[in-house]
Amino acid sequence: MLSTRERALSAINKPAPYGPDIDLSKYRLDEPGVEEASELDSTVLNAASRVGLESTGLAYVQSNERALYTAMAKALEKYSVLVLPTREALTRKPHARSLAWKLLDPASDKYTAYAYLYGGELGYFIYVPPGIRVPIPIYTCLAITTNNTIQFTHNIVYVDEGAEAHLVTGCAIPHGVKDGVHIGISEFYVARNARLTFTMLHAWAEGLHVRPRTVVSVEEGGEYVSYYVTYSPVASIQTYPVVYLGRNARAYLASIIASSGRGVYDIGSKAVLEGPGSSAESISRVVARDESLVYTRAELEALESDTRGHIECLGLLLSPSAAISSIPIITSRKQGAILSHEAAIGLIADRELDYLMSRGFTEEEAKAVLVRGFMNIDAPIPTSIKKQVDYILDLVAKHAVG
Amino acid sequence: MPLLELIGLSVCVDNKRIVEDASLSLNSGEVHVIMGPNGSGKSTLLSAIMGLRNARVCGGSILFNGLDITNTPSYERAKLGIALAHQSPPEIKGVRLRDVASAMAKKYGCSDCTLLAKNLFVEPFMNRSLFVGFSGGERKKTELFLVMLQDPKLAMLDEPDSGVDVESIEVIARVIESLRSRGTGVILVTHTGAITEKLSRIDKVHVLIDGRIAYTGSPDVVLPVVFKFGFRKGLEVLSRGV
Repeated sequence: MLSTRERALSAINKPAPYGPDIDLSKYRLDEPGVEEASELDSTVLNAASRVGLESTGLAYVQSNERALYTAMAKALEKYSVLVLPTREALTRKPHARSLAWKLLDPASDKYTAYAYLYGGELGYFIYVPPGIRVPIPIYTCLAITTNNTIQFTHNIVYVDEGAEAHLVTGCAIPHGVKDGVHIGISEFYVARNARLTFTMLHAWAEGLHVRPRTVVSVEEGGEYVSYYVTYSPVASIQTYPVVYLGRNARAYLASIIASSGRGVYDIGSKAVLEGPGSSAESISRVVARDESLVYTRAELEALESDTRGHIECLGLLLSPSAAISSIPIITSRKQGAILSHEAAIGLIADRELDYLMSRGFTEEEAKAVLVRGFMNIDAPIPTSIKKQVDYILDLVAKHAVG
Repeated sequence: MPLLELIGLSVCVDNKRIVEDASLSLNSGEVHVIMGPNGSGKSTLLSAIMGLRNARVCGGSILFNGLDITNTPSYERAKLGIALAHQSPPEIKGVRLRDVASAMAKKYGCSDCTLLAKNLFVEPFMNRSLFVGFSGGERKKTELFLVMLQDPKLAMLDEPDSGVDVESIEVIARVIESLRSRGTGVILVTHTGAITEKLSRIDKVHVLIDGRIAYTGSPDVVLPVVFKFGFRKGLEVLSRGV
């Protein structure tokens, strides 16, 4: 039987099923390291500001292949929340070791294989003890500040029984960085009756290839909320997180994709309804402009009866050269599961535009109002995070028609 | 100088003439009622005055305070002081009434929007998507609220009394009285005429039939005839001279 390492090696050239195939050998692999940061340099701050993050509130920062401890991580200790660079956690915490690479197979594709073999286990490890409801969002930032490099991150989050946490991760590059690859491995565990909301904000650049790989396990009565926003040009993003739901567990998976440039955005999700009474909702909004190409894939698989799932994919084409493909899949393997999907792609409605213009909005203002409204979804995330996302979506709406 | 003057106005929708050679003149503070059967072109006429793109002026001109606005885009007309309460505003998912109202309040410098929202009973749906799932009455009140936010010089109300309950008609009538008292010119399109009974003063009634203003007269003369005989027969009676 092959070892994990041998299996990873065997997958080193294995393309992902979706998205453009990237030749990773073209990019530089930097030496990973972990250090204490009293303050962040301006390029990292520049990147963080693009996703609305402020330096003082960050619990974990990764700049390229450097993982930085921050004061906020220590501040979270008062809530008994542990935030460590994954590399540290794997050394010091047997629990972390028992969780790493358990949900995600390193041999899934070349990106997971590279991360396993060369990633250096940077990223964050977050543990929320049983019954703790963390009152403040846990902010983390992953920034790429140099050209032609691969950034790896391996994030492990465990929200223990009855606990609740709100995690916000901003992934960004400062203005001026042109190319590179980001490979993010995320393994999230939501224990019984626990709740995790995960808001991910992406702001990349035209030459960046982004390959997040995420698997989430939600135990009985648990809830996982994912709210993903990407709004910048990018060379390509391909991601397909999978969420496994136990008895009476729930998932809400929302994606807001504002595509631009000539980027390929292949963004999906899958929820596996394993336990009776489990449910999932997958919502996406796509606003496509320029020559961007967007695939939204959403999949629901019901393995038990008395499960429910719904997919809603809506797209708005703002350019004659952009394209949106919506690909929903619903699979039921048990009678009694109720799964549904709806998808629609269109243009800004003339009647709505005309109406707002009659109220005194210029055509551009009216379009921005409509695009902003189109991206409005009622994601069950805390108000403070919603405000931050709203700020970004306001900018997106303005830029989308500008 | 009249606030609004239509001079031989013709309006086309999808290259079909819906309104033909319409002329009227309205002064500040006047209330004019436009009545007519279904499909006579009432809403199209208001759309053209507002500058909506689906109602193309294909003849004649529109003057507002002496300024020719025939080719002025709708948002400029709104800034000049023209407002329209649409008969069937579109449902706009995701765009909250609160967001539109607050953007408009900034544009038009409205300082007492909260009170206005309260007085027009629209507060409960401020956080809802614009017109999505609104009842007839909610829709009409919201339209009036947005018109009032614009603090217009000319307010055009397209069938504000259709599909609403008696209490709502009272509210709408109060709004019209309030607009008139502050010097706003009002054009009121009504199909049933229900609202006319609640108004203390109407200056003129225009009867629009088959796209033409077939008769213009005082409400004391026109309304009883229209209510008794209907539009076409009433027009014959009016033409004979009652």
